[in-house]
Amino acid sequence: MSDDPRAALAAAQYDLVAALVAGAKPPDGFDVARVRVQARALVDKRARHAAAHHPWLAEALAGDYRGVFAAYAGVNPLPPGGGHADAAAFVAYLRGRGELPPGPAPEARGRLIRLLRRRRH
Amino acid sequence: MSGPIPRPGPVPGPGPVPRLGPVPPWGSGPALGFGIGWRPEIDLTVERLPGIDFVEAIAENLVPRRLPESLRALRARGTAVVPHGVSLSLGGAERPDPARLAHLAACAQALGSPLVSEHIAFTRAGGLDAGHLLPLPRTTDALAVLAENVRIAQDQLPVPLALENIAPLFAWPADELTEGQFLYELAVRTGVLLLVDVANLHTAHVNLGTDPLEVLDALPLERLGYVHVAGGVERGGVWHDTHTHPVPEPVLSVLAELAARTAVPGVLLERDGDYPPDTELVTELEAVRRTVQEARHVR
Repeated sequence: MSDDPRAALAAAQYDLVAALVAGAKPPDGFDVARVRVQARALVDKRARHAAAHHPWLAEALAGDYRGVFAAYAGVNPLPPGGGHADAAAFVAYLRGRGELPPGPAPEARGRLIRLLRRRRH
Repeated sequence: MSGPIPRPGPVPGPGPVPRLGPVPPWGSGPALGFGIGWRPEIDLTVERLPGIDFVEAIAENLVPRRLPESLRALRARGTAVVPHGVSLSLGGAERPDPARLAHLAACAQALGSPLVSEHIAFTRAGGLDAGHLLPLPRTTDALAVLAENVRIAQDQLPVPLALENIAPLFAWPADELTEGQFLYELAVRTGVLLLVDVANLHTAHVNLGTDPLEVLDALPLERLGYVHVAGGVERGGVWHDTHTHPVPEPVLSVLAELAARTAVPGVLLERDGDYPPDTELVTELEAVRRTVQEARHVR
């Protein structure tokens, strides 16, 4: 066993996560193609969560949504606070670049209102 | 199927050989029955589905003092609710975060849960958060760190802890233990219950060539807490455990193999998006139930 298993594990795990979320080179010995598949899957997951928080934004960006989100995620690792904070940071990123689409369309607001009005019988 | 595969023997390779002793005589986990993952998007569906004995709720999405009305309704009629954590990062190099642990404990208390569950994984390292359950290196060192973290968690939780095998897209290059050996050692060292995700065993099979039956044969089945079943999809030779596709036959086959080996205390269907009509969920739950009941050990 290593002298300090926690320190050795911390370094190894950091190198892997850096490759997955911060564009670092995958550590030696890993299947590089699979690490890329995992990295893409992590961005897809963040994109889905952000879309769930702001469906109007995914709708407004339509076919460009995934690409625009990936560009954001490439320079903005997942912030503390998880999906909610990530969605807010994505909106701030778009606003900062002057690329934020206009707010929720009336029909999207209508859907939200219907969702909020759902009642248990 | 061939005859029973013996318990894993001593592991060759670097580092000390882990001790593979007999399983200490802990009691088994509580009986749970059949269940489904409760999600806010399908709360009314879950309440309406027939024959649901228990549900899981993602712990990170709960506020113990303000539980969703739907979960309170389920509790009121005797449906057990298991808080399912996704961010403790028990396999991480750091000791578990006391605040996250306290939250999981508070969820269990507020819900009167028979147990809580988490994952055999790490989710962050050195300030970088993957936001996802990542596989651990299956080394004796990583096992020692994980086991210590699990014991820290167990000390803070009011109910038993069950830990789940995750869905891997890749493996670490220098694994010293098989998945079965790793799970066996973890359960024996800590007394933790195992949440066996048969869809994740299928994922490991497609993505890494792991034999699900070899894993099942290595498990200390006395420590089986409950079982997860879910759907996924193959893209470019890689199985993605999406929870948004129907449960495929190979996943039910692994469930049948497990149910043939031991009495399964509980089976839970996970669905996390692209929600189908209620009738499809009913059909999937029926298939799960039939699979368990047609296997040798029926509760």
